[in-house]
Amino acid sequence: MKIIETTKLTKKYRRYKKQEGIIGSIKGLFKREYEEKIAVGSLDLEIEKGEFIGMIGPNGAGKTTLIKMLTGIIAPSSGKIDVLGYYPNDLKNEFKQQYAVVMGQKSQLFFELTVEDTLRLFKEIYGIPEEEYQNTKNYFVNLFDVKDLMNVQVRTLSLGERMKMELIVALLHNPQIIFLDEPTIGLDAVASKQIRSFLKAINEEKGTTIVLTSHYMEDIKALCKRTIVINHGCKIYDGDTEELFEKYQKNKKITLTFETATELPQLEFSELDVGIVILEETPYKKVMMIPKERTSEILRNLMEFSPSDISVEEEEIGTVVERIYMEGGQTFA
Amino acid sequence: MRKYIEIAKIYIKAQLIWRADVVLNMVFTVTKILFAYLLWGAIFGSKAEVAGFTFHSMLSYYIISAFLNQLDMSSLISNEISTRIRNGTFSKYMILPVSIEKYFVAMESGVVTFYLAFDFIAAIVWIFLFQIKFVFTTNLATIACAILIILLGLLFMAQLNYYLGLLTLKYQEIGTFLMIKNNIVAFVTGSIVPLVLLPGAFVSIMKLFPFYYVTYLPSMLLIGRFQNERIIGLIVIFAWCVILQIVIQVTWGKYRRKYDGVGI
Repeated sequence: MKIIETTKLTKKYRRYKKQEGIIGSIKGLFKREYEEKIAVGSLDLEIEKGEFIGMIGPNGAGKTTLIKMLTGIIAPSSGKIDVLGYYPNDLKNEFKQQYAVVMGQKSQLFFELTVEDTLRLFKEIYGIPEEEYQNTKNYFVNLFDVKDLMNVQVRTLSLGERMKMELIVALLHNPQIIFLDEPTIGLDAVASKQIRSFLKAINEEKGTTIVLTSHYMEDIKALCKRTIVINHGCKIYDGDTEELFEKYQKNKKITLTFETATELPQLEFSELDVGIVILEETPYKKVMMIPKERTSEILRNLMEFSPSDISVEEEEIGTVVERIYMEGGQTFA
Repeated sequence: MRKYIEIAKIYIKAQLIWRADVVLNMVFTVTKILFAYLLWGAIFGSKAEVAGFTFHSMLSYYIISAFLNQLDMSSLISNEISTRIRNGTFSKYMILPVSIEKYFVAMESGVVTFYLAFDFIAAIVWIFLFQIKFVFTTNLATIACAILIILLGLLFMAQLNYYLGLLTLKYQEIGTFLMIKNNIVAFVTGSIVPLVLLPGAFVSIMKLFPFYYVTYLPSMLLIGRFQNERIIGLIVIFAWCVILQIVIQVTWGKYRRKYDGVGI
């Protein structure tokens, strides 16, 4: 059953283009130039109930704008949009009762008060019966193991703790859809992992449809079966997540550090170096990009140089997006 | 309704966190009364009456109008809306299944309820400290009308500030609007000088506008004057609330699509 459907959805912004300097500022008093920016362009989208969708793209790609249109926060410039049978920007309360949105940098919590106070407020706002409220609250509090934090002033919570609380507040009314915009931004690995497993549980146990935007590949890989890649406001990939990374994430970044000055012998290394790009090289540190399929082979060889530390990272999202775009992703646009 | 009561309650709780704010607000009320005591003491000098006021009825007027003025916290609404629209976080209110306007009215009600007690204590303390022979009407119908006018006046100010806040959707910056509003309110509500001291023609014109009824008329009614204006006062301030509500609906309908949520 489709619960989100958009056809040729477009959002254009008009922004003031000021000339630089004081003269430019004075000129702006008399005559202003505006430019039009297409944040989302002619986007078609269909999402089924219970799906866990990942949305990736570089900064300014249009992901957040799309979420804002789907939640009714902003009105589209043109195109059709239907979420749970509503036109979101009508801002009907019956519609707002059925979704939740968590934006990593925007909070619903009252910083001076405790989470318990905010939850009590949301219980009344969403008209949740007392018994259901207690059950749902206890379910999430146990899932996140945050019982000790419920009566602490929100402003004293760490970023990771606060994000868990944001999720609990957002999910209190058991929404049909939850939109998550960068929920793990700024979080450490442990907190990110906890939030990922929490979201997975919500999707599997409650059947909540989740639309997740993230800059972190790990979030998308771990959670989303389907991924949509957006660039310059257009969809350039929409399909299976595994296939996306298999096909377009071709490299890994390896960082080696050494306790003593180390040279990677040119001759020995040249046998391996097909496809290797050295990004940074100092006597104590080497950073290189290697083909994904040769990771184990190259790592085995590099271990012979006894590095004191070694890290293997996924290729950055921007590079993957660029590759999709270059290799024919435009068929989706 | 319960959701709005809970909103009011959460803002009462939030006020309780900041103890310094409470003390400063009380001091501010007290300072105004002290200033009035010194100013009107000098003006009255040896005179028994000025424009129909005795020294004590003038101070009673001042205490009541200062009290009502301190209760009007509606500028919180325009500041909150304006700031949030400009930094892109107004969406916090847009996604909640509530009427945004009612949310802000409930928010102000919470804050006002909290300060009501403290401002009342400040006023009582000063009445005793300066041994003011407090002039207060005993006519119950007048008291009832004055209370209704006060409530409608507070509602009107909340509506006005909500409306001005919404103008940020169109104009981005509403500092000038707020400055004009603050100056008009300070002068026309009679909180600086009782309007009775101003030319009659000016006061007659003011009676057509809502600000006359926000602080001035209820203060005068409570000290037992202008009893004949109590019903017309109720009607005029009620009519202004209705008119402003229509303007708000039109403005919100017209401008809300301009919100782009850009900021953070």
